[in-house]
Amino acid sequence: MGDNWSFVLAAYGLAVVVVLGYWRMLVRREKDLDQ
Amino acid sequence: MWKDLLVERRSKETLNALFFFALLLLFVFEFALGPDRERLAGALPGLLWLGFILSGLLGLGRAFVVERENDCWEALLLAPGDKSAIYVGKLAGNLLLMLVVEAMLLALFGVFFNLDIVPALPALGVVILLGTIGFAAIGTLFAAMTTQVRARELLFPVLLLPVQVPLLLATVKATEAVLLGEPLGAVAHWLKLLAAADVLYVAVGVLTFDFVLEG
Amino acid sequence: MVRVLGAVTVVALAAGLVAGLGLAPREATQGNVQRIMYLHVPSVWVAYLAFAVVFVASIAYLAKRAEAADQLAHASAEVGVLFTGLTIATGSIWGKPTWGTWWTWDARLTSVSILFVMYLGYLLLRGMIEDRERGARYAAVLGIVAAFNIPLVHFSVTWWRTLHQPPSLMKPGPGTMPPVIVATLLVNFVAFSLLYAYFVAKRVRLLRREAEATS
Repeated sequence: MGDNWSFVLAAYGLAVVVVLGYWRMLVRREKDLDQ
Repeated sequence: MWKDLLVERRSKETLNALFFFALLLLFVFEFALGPDRERLAGALPGLLWLGFILSGLLGLGRAFVVERENDCWEALLLAPGDKSAIYVGKLAGNLLLMLVVEAMLLALFGVFFNLDIVPALPALGVVILLGTIGFAAIGTLFAAMTTQVRARELLFPVLLLPVQVPLLLATVKATEAVLLGEPLGAVAHWLKLLAAADVLYVAVGVLTFDFVLEG
Repeated sequence: MVRVLGAVTVVALAAGLVAGLGLAPREATQGNVQRIMYLHVPSVWVAYLAFAVVFVASIAYLAKRAEAADQLAHASAEVGVLFTGLTIATGSIWGKPTWGTWWTWDARLTSVSILFVMYLGYLLLRGMIEDRERGARYAAVLGIVAAFNIPLVHFSVTWWRTLHQPPSLMKPGPGTMPPVIVATLLVNFVAFSLLYAYFVAKRVRLLRREAEATS
């Protein structure tokens, strides 16, 4: 089987986006409460 | 419990509408699949249960609407004693309603799709009964939960359908085998799963219904 | 406290990333795609952990009526759905080069995606009930039903699939895994568990503050 690095990077990239996205949502909503 | 059955028999409106709906479903299935007998026969177990579930969704969705419209909901909440009796009564009513609709659908399927279901009927009856108990048990519980929620027509199927996937898989597979003339022993593992699901669902329903009817 | 947890989580995740993408060797049979396993398997572990926490917290809420238990269930369900989604997505990306297709109705993919829609429905129910106390009660009932349904889903889907094909395994058998791969997997398990704890802690705090702000 080939190297398929593009699939590996896509999976890791997606994971990073999802995790960071959720974290930012939490932070933003907490900031909204502070104001 | 008997009150429910009585109300249902007296009004008959739900049953009539469901009968009409079942008839329409047959039309839709026929149009969607075309006149090809072979293809129809292959898809039949799935279609049959799709029909049961769709009419069940409509029938069960209305289970507590009558109470709400007649302002009996408060009376249900205030009812003294064990609320699980109310659940069992509602469950029995829904089960009966669904079984009647399913019998009608089955007869219609037999007539319109030229099926000889009579030899498979006893085995099919076991499968249908086991599947319907589980469906009605969770359906009754969820119907009570969604009655007081906005967009309940939407929420009820959205909550119910994913939970019903094991029942659907088991019943469709068992129905498929039974319609092919296999004995019940060949699908014993599915029947055990159905029985386990029924016991589990009814038990959870009885135990948690108190909390649903609190307010 | 949460901040410290967050910092530890970031360190662990970075270690997991380095180990998964760099230190771990290219797997012999699957090639580099196997590296996706370091995300996929810990994700599904976190998802199951999260739903188990929902189950326990739901029972605790119904028994004690503590708002904290409800908030824990809510937060855990949300994080669980997030990681279930991640499991499905990474599994799909792994499947494309391995099976040649983004999606097959493989037993594991199917049962995880049923969990996904089941708990998505749970979150939907929570979002649709304005009354906080009633929402908590109904969600707790649903959380209990859904948890009991997990083994049923698992068995039914496995039987449904394995009659046609053996379940395809994401991971090679435990005996065949070289120690480096096991170690990398372990690091990622720890990192993802920490991430789960961090997210839930943050989400619970947010829910508590939102509850205080509105009451």
